[in-house]
Amino acid sequence: MKNRLKVLRAERDWSQADLAQRLEVSRQSVNAIETGKFDPSLPLAFKLARLFGLGIEEIFEDSGSGSESGNQQVSESAN
Amino acid sequence: MTSSCWSPATWSPALRRLLVRVAIAAFSSVLLAPAAAAAVYFWHLKGVPACLMAVIAALPIVGLLAANAAFLNEEKDEFQRNVFVQCLLGGIGGTLVATTIWGNLESFVHAPHLNPVIVYPIFWIFVLISAPVVLARYR
Repeated sequence: MKNRLKVLRAERDWSQADLAQRLEVSRQSVNAIETGKFDPSLPLAFKLARLFGLGIEEIFEDSGSGSESGNQQVSESAN
Repeated sequence: MTSSCWSPATWSPALRRLLVRVAIAAFSSVLLAPAAAAAVYFWHLKGVPACLMAVIAALPIVGLLAANAAFLNEEKDEFQRNVFVQCLLGGIGGTLVATTIWGNLESFVHAPHLNPVIVYPIFWIFVLISAPVVLARYR
C-alpha cells in the first residue's frame, strides 16, 4: 500500500528511528511500512494518523479500490 | 530490515525474554535428555516409567514452544511478530518437505531410518534458514 510517510516524516525532520520511537515500534517496522512492503494494522494506522494529526486516508492511499466502480461494487454488495 | 536487527541494542524486551527462555529450555534439554536416557539404560526401566522418561526428556521442547508463544503475545511490534511467524512457517514448510522426501527415500531406495527425535532440530534449522530469506524481503 502506497503512503506518504516519508514525506510527512521529512516535513518534521524526523529520522526513521525518531518516528519508530514515537510509535513504539522498531525502525525496521517504519522502514517496511514506508517502502510499502508491510501494511500496518488498523490500530497502528490510527496511531500514525494521530501522530501526524491527519486522517488515515490522508496518509495511506487505497490503491486497490479507489475507483468509482470499486466504491459502487462495495455499496452494491452492502445492499 | 538491515543488519542492525542483529545488534542487541535494538532488541525489544520481548525478544530479550525469548532469548533467555530459549537458553533455559536448551540448557534443560541438554541436561534432561541424556539423564532420561541414562535412567532408562542403567535402571532398565520399562513400561510406564520408561514412557514417563520419554515425556520428561521432551518437556524442554514444550517449554521452547511456550516461549515462542509467549514472545508472540508479548512483542508489541506487529512487524517483528509478522517476520517471526513467517520464519516459523518457513521452518514448518521446510521440515514437512524434508521429512516427506526422506520418507519417500526410505520407501523407495531403503535410505537409513530417520529417528523422529531429530525432527525438532530440523525444524529450527529451517527456521534459521528462513530468517535471512524473510528479512531480505524487507530490505
